[in-house]
Amino acid sequence: MTSLFNFGVAAYWGALVCLVLYMMARRRFLDVTGIGLILAGGIAQTAYIALRWVQAGRAPFSNMFESLVLFAWSVAIIYLVIRMRRNIPWLGAAAAAFSGIALSHASTYESVIKPLVPALQSNWLTFHVMTCFLGYGGFAISFLVALGFLVVNRPGSRVSQDTRESLDEVMTRTISFGFLFLTLGILTGAVWANSAWGTYWSWDPKETWSLITWCVYAIFLHCRFMRGWRGTRAAWISIVGFLSVLFTYFGVNFVLSGLHSYGSM
Amino acid sequence: MTELNDNQIEVNGAMKRASGWGGTILYYLASLRFALGVVFLIALACITGTLIPQGSQVEQYLERHPGGQGWIKVADTLGFTHVFYSWWFIALLFLLATSLVVCTQRRFMTMIQTTGAVRVRVAGSFISHVSLLLIFAGGVVRAVWSEKGVIGFREGEAVSHISGSDQPMHLPFEIRLDKFELEHYATPSASGKGQMDLLLARWTGSREETAIPVELQAGDTLIPAGGASPESPALHVTVERILPDFIVDTGTGEARSRSEQPNNPAIQLAVSGGGHTNRMWVFARFPDMTTPVGGQDGGPVPLQFRYIVNPARMAAAVEGAPIKAYKSTVEIIEGGKSVLTNTIAVNSPLAYGGFTFYQLSYNPEDLHWTLLQVVRDPSVPIVYGGFLLMMIGLTIVFCVGPYLDDQRKKRSGAVS
Repeated sequence: MTSLFNFGVAAYWGALVCLVLYMMARRRFLDVTGIGLILAGGIAQTAYIALRWVQAGRAPFSNMFESLVLFAWSVAIIYLVIRMRRNIPWLGAAAAAFSGIALSHASTYESVIKPLVPALQSNWLTFHVMTCFLGYGGFAISFLVALGFLVVNRPGSRVSQDTRESLDEVMTRTISFGFLFLTLGILTGAVWANSAWGTYWSWDPKETWSLITWCVYAIFLHCRFMRGWRGTRAAWISIVGFLSVLFTYFGVNFVLSGLHSYGSM
Repeated sequence: MTELNDNQIEVNGAMKRASGWGGTILYYLASLRFALGVVFLIALACITGTLIPQGSQVEQYLERHPGGQGWIKVADTLGFTHVFYSWWFIALLFLLATSLVVCTQRRFMTMIQTTGAVRVRVAGSFISHVSLLLIFAGGVVRAVWSEKGVIGFREGEAVSHISGSDQPMHLPFEIRLDKFELEHYATPSASGKGQMDLLLARWTGSREETAIPVELQAGDTLIPAGGASPESPALHVTVERILPDFIVDTGTGEARSRSEQPNNPAIQLAVSGGGHTNRMWVFARFPDMTTPVGGQDGGPVPLQFRYIVNPARMAAAVEGAPIKAYKSTVEIIEGGKSVLTNTIAVNSPLAYGGFTFYQLSYNPEDLHWTLLQVVRDPSVPIVYGGFLLMMIGLTIVFCVGPYLDDQRKKRSGAVS
């Protein structure tokens, strides 16, 4: 099982190297190899998660190590889905780097399968964490696109208007996807909390920061669809939104204590 | 994706700026700028509420920050120590709800005036906004009509009066705790056959030891060095009780375990032979101390015992064997009759008579006591209805709408 994990790490870093070289040399085989490595990394991670699921006898989504693996996986998979419709070479490199960093960081945490505390012994764990991290994956891609947009949109850039519009659309669609899944994650978390503790909302720091993240992206979507905000302004909201995601995920676990404190284990 | 803007909605929704102060207020309440401004303020308030520790008394803040008397009192007065229950936070939620009502009405007007993919998306948006209003309504119902309390009781006790969070609660029935159970995961070090505790027994004056595994009813027969005789009969040693944390109950004089932790492991042995049976306690931590149980009817036992707790098992236990479950088996009693018996565990509450009982906690020092939470919350169906509508609305907005747009684009592309 460890070899699958290590293969995933190596595949993402290898994909990054290939795609960066492709951007410099424009050799097609580098692009194909890079995307192939992301695909291989995604498959290896899928197998790793499935094996760990079988071995643990429960969904492997209960601590920092397991959630980082899921985060890396969701970013890779969402990128591959985007890639089926659009080819943005640097986005592949950015997604591979993101997944590589996430998995490498995961390897610094203890990977031993531990039994679940009573509060986590629920089928809602699977739905709640899975939906949240699919949402986070969408937001991560939108963040990468937003960063890319700000770079290509700087004064004097020779990038075409079509490319900018394409980036803008990918950003909007990934945020829409992320928002849908984050909402589902928050709602499944609320239903789970009600079945475990008798309250669907208790202003726990993780809950509250999820709501803050939700508010930021709700502002983005309203500005985008109702006010027609595009380009730089939308990109900045996307970046602020992802910083909020990162604080919800890491910051709350390490800085603030609450019902989700086991997330930092 | 097809976009809608404020102007389009205002024309479609016939929400022109009306004259008079009422019309002006309504106009601003309905504006996107106002709604997003309120959402932004709510987000800021939430950030404040997570960064400042919430819910403590002023004295507790002063203990932590002795020099901050001035600003702590100001923060407390302004509600920053209980942000989510402060008047201004509730006012912000009220403003958002009011804005949502007006916006939702506008979306409804737009929905009935548009067609095709735009209509579908506006319908999704309308449903999402209605769902938020339902969730807000649920929050109000919860704040006004819900009841919450806790029951802390021991096995055999029955209660119907409960200390509530605001005022005492009275149940129209009794609930009795039949049994509390704490389950641990079996760790390899605790369950492995090679990791067992051992009882070492030898005849006084002899060096030869017999090892007996410490399990209930485990035992062995020990024969004296020169062979058994009527004066020196063979003795059978049996493990009768195992207590991880031995104490003597001062009330009853009975030995019992104070907790599951191996703070004072002890085993009770029965040593029988020659027509007599002697019982005694042997302690792991006090190898020289053997406490007889009752009189030594056969005279002093010519055996020496050592109780060895496996170090790996001890270490695992001291670290704390992971808790698998804690659950309370309760009985509902109505009119003196038992009408229901059920086991409550975390994630597995018991709903009865409009009340729901949740396993909240337990006392590691007293494993015959449990703490349940009792909730009567009529807002749950309303809020869950809101959740369902929210997902339907968002799915329409983000999945069905774009799909219809794509189809329309494909059709128009094919035509051109």
